[in-house]
Amino acid sequence: MNQSNIRNFSIIAHIDHGKSTLADRLLQLTGTISEREMQEQVLDSMELERERGVTIKASAVRMEYTAHDGQTYEMNLIDTPGHVDFSYEVSRALQACEGAILVVDSTQGIEAQTLANLYVALEQDLEILAVVNKIDLPAARPDDIAQEIEDLLGLDAADVIQVSAKTGIHVEQVLEAVVQHIPPPKGDLDAPPRALIFDSHYDPYKGVIAYVRVAEGVFKPNTTLRLMASGAVLEPIELGIFSPNMKPVQSLAAGEVGYIATGLKTVRECRVGDTVTIAQSGAVEPLPGYKHAKPMVFAGFYPSDNDDYDDLRDALEKLQLNDAALVYEPETSQALNFGFRVGFLGLFHMDIVQERLEREYDLDILATAPSVEYQVVLRSGEVIEITSPADLPDPSTIDEIREPWMSIEIFAPEEFIGPIMELVTKKRGEYLSMEYLDQTRVLLKYKIPLAEMIIDFYDRLKSTTRGYASLDYHFDEYRTENLVRLDVLVNKLPVDALAMIVHEDEAFHKGQRLVSRLKRTIPRQLFEVPIQAAVGKHVISRANVKALRKDVLAKCYGGDITRKKKLLEKQKKGKKRLKMIGNVEVPQEAFMAVLRLDDDD
Amino acid sequence: MPQRPYAPGSVTSGVHLPESPLALYYHIPFCQIRCTYCAFNTYTRLESLIPGYAEALIRETRLVAGSARRPAVTIYFGGGTPSLIPPRLIAPLLDACAEVFDLAPDVEITLEANPGTTDRAYLQELRAIGVNRLSVGMQSAHARELHLFARGHGVDEVRETVTLARAAGFENISLDLIYGVPQQTLDMWQTSLETALDIGPDHLSMYSLGLEDGTPMQRWVERGHLPAPDSDLAADMYEWADERLARAGFEQYEISNWARPGLACRHNLHYWRSLPYLGLGAGAHGYAGGKRTVTVLHPAHYIERIQQQPAPLPYPASAATDTIEPIDARQAMVETMMMGLRLVQEGVALSTFRAWFGRDLWEVYGAELDRLIAFGLVELPTADQVRLTPRGRLLGNHVFAEFIQE
Repeated sequence: MNQSNIRNFSIIAHIDHGKSTLADRLLQLTGTISEREMQEQVLDSMELERERGVTIKASAVRMEYTAHDGQTYEMNLIDTPGHVDFSYEVSRALQACEGAILVVDSTQGIEAQTLANLYVALEQDLEILAVVNKIDLPAARPDDIAQEIEDLLGLDAADVIQVSAKTGIHVEQVLEAVVQHIPPPKGDLDAPPRALIFDSHYDPYKGVIAYVRVAEGVFKPNTTLRLMASGAVLEPIELGIFSPNMKPVQSLAAGEVGYIATGLKTVRECRVGDTVTIAQSGAVEPLPGYKHAKPMVFAGFYPSDNDDYDDLRDALEKLQLNDAALVYEPETSQALNFGFRVGFLGLFHMDIVQERLEREYDLDILATAPSVEYQVVLRSGEVIEITSPADLPDPSTIDEIREPWMSIEIFAPEEFIGPIMELVTKKRGEYLSMEYLDQTRVLLKYKIPLAEMIIDFYDRLKSTTRGYASLDYHFDEYRTENLVRLDVLVNKLPVDALAMIVHEDEAFHKGQRLVSRLKRTIPRQLFEVPIQAAVGKHVISRANVKALRKDVLAKCYGGDITRKKKLLEKQKKGKKRLKMIGNVEVPQEAFMAVLRLDDDD
Repeated sequence: MPQRPYAPGSVTSGVHLPESPLALYYHIPFCQIRCTYCAFNTYTRLESLIPGYAEALIRETRLVAGSARRPAVTIYFGGGTPSLIPPRLIAPLLDACAEVFDLAPDVEITLEANPGTTDRAYLQELRAIGVNRLSVGMQSAHARELHLFARGHGVDEVRETVTLARAAGFENISLDLIYGVPQQTLDMWQTSLETALDIGPDHLSMYSLGLEDGTPMQRWVERGHLPAPDSDLAADMYEWADERLARAGFEQYEISNWARPGLACRHNLHYWRSLPYLGLGAGAHGYAGGKRTVTVLHPAHYIERIQQQPAPLPYPASAATDTIEPIDARQAMVETMMMGLRLVQEGVALSTFRAWFGRDLWEVYGAELDRLIAFGLVELPTADQVRLTPRGRLLGNHVFAEFIQE
């Protein structure tokens, strides 16, 4: 295909604004998939993605479109995730494009990720096409929202296309606009071939499938290739495109988007951001890559049943093949035995990983409360990074502790300013600024410790604003804070998996809440169990779980034996899931108690 | 070589079952009203089946017994509401029992009676045909609780039933009471027990209310219409009652049962001692010949199956047997512990265990017993006996669970 007839573009949007539905409609209109094959959100291939209605990984698909000018165009649509945790994936995907369709829900207006994604697109000099979606809904205000786009984003309201991806109204105009306004790719077809890997997934038969955007030259099958950063040399199994399923092709030329089935068995050899070239007389300079996504949130993942440790390790290894942002290393806990410290991009990412482990690998996971990465400056001057409160060294050796702070932006109706202020202040946040977006909506900016955000900030924000607020965040800086470790002792034994690092001012309050919550979670045992919260040697809160007095089947006659035996068997089976802290049986929920410290009781 | 308690018996997968006389259980699955806590196999508005059902019981008895004329020591009519069956229908059944079993001269024959379903004539006839023990469902002395249970009788009917039964010649009368009821105070419980003692029973069964699946009581608690029973308060009630009954001359012999000396229910002792019993009638469970049997639940199906059975089946099955499961040595050991430890005085005899299973109790359950003794839940009053401590009686599930296989 002639380069001038190629268009590479993404769709970017705030979550739920209809990105995937629009993609589906484009696939249908271009005949890339038949009516029969049409299922909702074709590009969201993971079961979990479909269920949650969000895109988690980027994907790329080639469509052919015959435009009103009579010419046929190769349209490469690169789908992007909508959740802020995955914004780094968005930026990667956008590097493979010349333009982006910005979708805004005409009933909601501009939200936090609309803006965040738009900034990423603008940074990369992409041509932006604005679309307002869901105009079929009674609450749609397409003209107002188009005006909002002009006011806030500086795009001409008259150029905003008003569509309903659901019903298909005006979707063809979007394709025409892509052809007319998004520039074709440039790239020397005769230069040694170079392609950027912008995503990958693992295929059990074909190895790592690298999603590539060819920058220069032409790739042919049966040519030995080289990855410029990892140095891996490979004989590709095939070259191909997604339409939307994998379809082999005979060449991938400059400007095109497709895949290379590398046959490589580990993602380590085929990192996203690496440049592919040919092994013999290939390119000399790699393409500008990406920064590796840095995990922000860490949690211990332990198998509920200790026997499943090996299965958990295998599952994490397999997940990592498709999720380069996932990092993990072995960890041991006195209470929970053998598990892993796993690093995530954010809480949503953690949630997704846990759900995939449980659903796709049939594992039962006990996740400890998430933590952030602290920088601990020792008296010796050495700086260590810790991701688990249990790893905090003896306080007498510590000079200072630094914790990550985030900048956040909240979009919300003005009536919620008060509750949002209150919530952020409660979470140690600092107010930066407030702007009115229009008569009723505001943009609030704050700084807030990440440790406070990862507990239940997002859920609380959603509930205090009845779902009207949207949030974007990014790392700001490490700050020195007055932090201490809050230890929990069950029956006088410290429980490593329950320790948390808190601000000294809040240690007392949090200790009390934690103790009272654990008191309700830990079932009564045959003996009294004291629960204590302590900072160093200083106990700040204590409660007792009273000894159990009565638990006996009142009746057991001839007809009851089998049934009562089954009942006791079931109870015993349930007990097997309990974790032992000394001789105290603790249910797995107790380890999540830290997450619900602010719940109303 | 320790003495076996019974003559050498048949060998079933390592179990030397005692050659013990049988206990006979007859299930009467009819009720006028269903009590709100009850999850037993019982049906309302099926009373028209009673004559056919009584006939089927006779036929099943003959079919199961065959011609062996096994010895039997107790007969028990449980329900449901056995007192809905007229004595003239019970008499031929007892005659059949006497014919096909070798009944002990002092055979204990119990019938469960609901207050208000039995008049003077009924009780006189019942006694006359040989029933010699009456178990009366009193449950509470409070009208409000009886109403909550949907019992359909008051405390006066309990007193009247017992008075009439005494007049009819019953010398062994038991009362059932329920404690640990939502909204019940210690004071209310004390009144119920004092009233029961005043009525003058020979035996008392006191059951802590259990919330059984599928019962209205369980639903009410689940939906918050009623508070859940308070187990600490129930423990107080239990301890108070135990002490009060001791003063009144009753001996506790099982977790929920007290009797005047020598009047423990021999039929129920059979269960707790893991001795063989036949379960006859719809939904009855039996344990004989090393096999557990469960009979089909619905009385109409039961009658139909028994009517159509042409000839005896291998003991102890009948055509109405729904499931029959051999109990292997491991299961039998668990059940021996789980049932035997309910007998708070006698517990489990080490010599019996060895005789039945050919292994020492300590060899099989040493670790479990050590733990339980360390927790103060189990004790060894003599060298041949393990039993629950007073604390263990209230925490029986923790004890029984130790013996359960995962």
